[in-house]
Amino acid sequence: MSFEPKIVGFLCNWCSYTGADLAGTARIKYAPNVRSIRVMCSGRVDPIFVVKAFAEGADGVLIAGCHPGDCHYQEGNYKALRRYLLLKRILPEYGIEPQRLRLEWIAASEGERFAQVVNEFTEQVRNLGPMNFKASLFESMKNDVVVHEEHAPQGTGEQQ
Amino acid sequence: MKLKIAIYWGAACGGCDVAILDTHEKLLEIADMADIYLWPIAMDFKYSDVRAMKDKYLDAVLFSGGVRNSENEEIALLLRRKAKTMIALGACAHLGGVPGLANMYTREDIMNRVYLESESIDNQGKTLPLENTRVDGHDLELPRFYNVVKTLSQVVDVDYTIPGCPPASLQIYSALGLIADDMLPKTGSVIGAGDRALCDECPRKKGEKTITRIYRTHEKLPDAETCFLEQGFICLGPATRSGCGSRCIKSWTPCRGCYGPLDDVSDQGIKMLSALASVLEPKEEREINAILDTVVDPLRTFHRFSLASSMLRRRKA
Amino acid sequence: MKRIAIDPITRLEGHGKIMIFLNEQGAVDNAYLQIPELRGFEKFVEGLPVEEIPRVVTRICGV
Repeated sequence: MSFEPKIVGFLCNWCSYTGADLAGTARIKYAPNVRSIRVMCSGRVDPIFVVKAFAEGADGVLIAGCHPGDCHYQEGNYKALRRYLLLKRILPEYGIEPQRLRLEWIAASEGERFAQVVNEFTEQVRNLGPMNFKASLFESMKNDVVVHEEHAPQGTGEQQ
Repeated sequence: MKLKIAIYWGAACGGCDVAILDTHEKLLEIADMADIYLWPIAMDFKYSDVRAMKDKYLDAVLFSGGVRNSENEEIALLLRRKAKTMIALGACAHLGGVPGLANMYTREDIMNRVYLESESIDNQGKTLPLENTRVDGHDLELPRFYNVVKTLSQVVDVDYTIPGCPPASLQIYSALGLIADDMLPKTGSVIGAGDRALCDECPRKKGEKTITRIYRTHEKLPDAETCFLEQGFICLGPATRSGCGSRCIKSWTPCRGCYGPLDDVSDQGIKMLSALASVLEPKEEREINAILDTVVDPLRTFHRFSLASSMLRRRKA
Repeated sequence: MKRIAIDPITRLEGHGKIMIFLNEQGAVDNAYLQIPELRGFEKFVEGLPVEEIPRVVTRICGV
């Protein structure tokens, strides 16, 4: 029983979400591990969304937008690219494998490609293993509790 | 009716207490409006005095410093019980502050470095601090050193926050005035600071941002007037609350975010990451990576004061 | 063995407590000064860019 990665996918309305939709209407079978969130543009994806996804239990995060030059809002996908590249550098400093974050350009007509990316990324994250962020944080804090209640700071005065 | 207040410090440096003293002659006005029932830097009250108080006896507690060990947490819990209003004073209580950078390491890393590996320590017996020791038949205790630095709000309910490292003295004074006049805003608010980003208050000229490389602060001399970020120096102004009087900017130093994030921002450092990435010039991956190569130590720069309060809170073990 | 605690010590910067142990005659058997604080600057400054160090280590003490 191998682990099933939970992947959050931010898909832009005009290209990649439509591409994902096409994969569905074309009845293409692909891994069910991506939870899709439709945003109007990949440039809408605030890096806080990505970090929050990891903090809330995601094992992987996919950002998918229009091919460079094809952004419905002209340059939003370039902004997404810059944010993605900086996130890739900061994740390992947090101790998170940067391969858990992926950016892809997927056009509205690329249903097959969407399915292929999801299958590949799911396998990649499966091999990385569960992120278990909350569990690892609780584990690192499990001894961080108040001790010495009976010898709690008593101030001046007599003690036995 | 004079206010009854307590001023306490967790894992602190004393700078917030000095900021209160730096209200100078206004300290006399503070003494008129409040009686102080605990202030270790300045007055000889003991923990037993606080334990003897009835619950909610104090009107307000100003708690600076982060929660680094079990004593910090215990006194935070104690003061929360004994006070009507709990106020996080300064960046450490608010965000973890500079000591929050210890969240890049583990308890073991720190203990080993400080007591065993440090070049200036002479510890032949390889003694480490213990929670319980017996010396010559005498039992002694020390608090537990936590593995994760916590902010005040991660251990108790915090009613208000006065941000800054340190908070500007006049801001502390005006916040105390709000308490005295019973004019505090809704619970949970940040007081003694603005509600816009530092850029709004900053005296430097802001124009179009087209950054093609990042400079470390020693790599070139900034010009006198232009926005630091525009010149390629990382400045956390866009992700930081105003209210400090731009004291670093006026000293020709880019902001490092000590006043914390604006309202509704859950992670100041990642917000700064977003802001910086958004204003870089290139569109092509190779060129973008070339600029990012000039961004040195991003995590601890964006999260200089806020690592303990960030969404991921610490480096994953 | 009676134990008297002075906790916290005051009117200085930093945390400290003094534990005084009295023998049966009520005389002081021994007294210990303990410092219940540590933040670990020695460790977490490792790896910081050198030009940032002045702004970090000034937070060791605000007095």
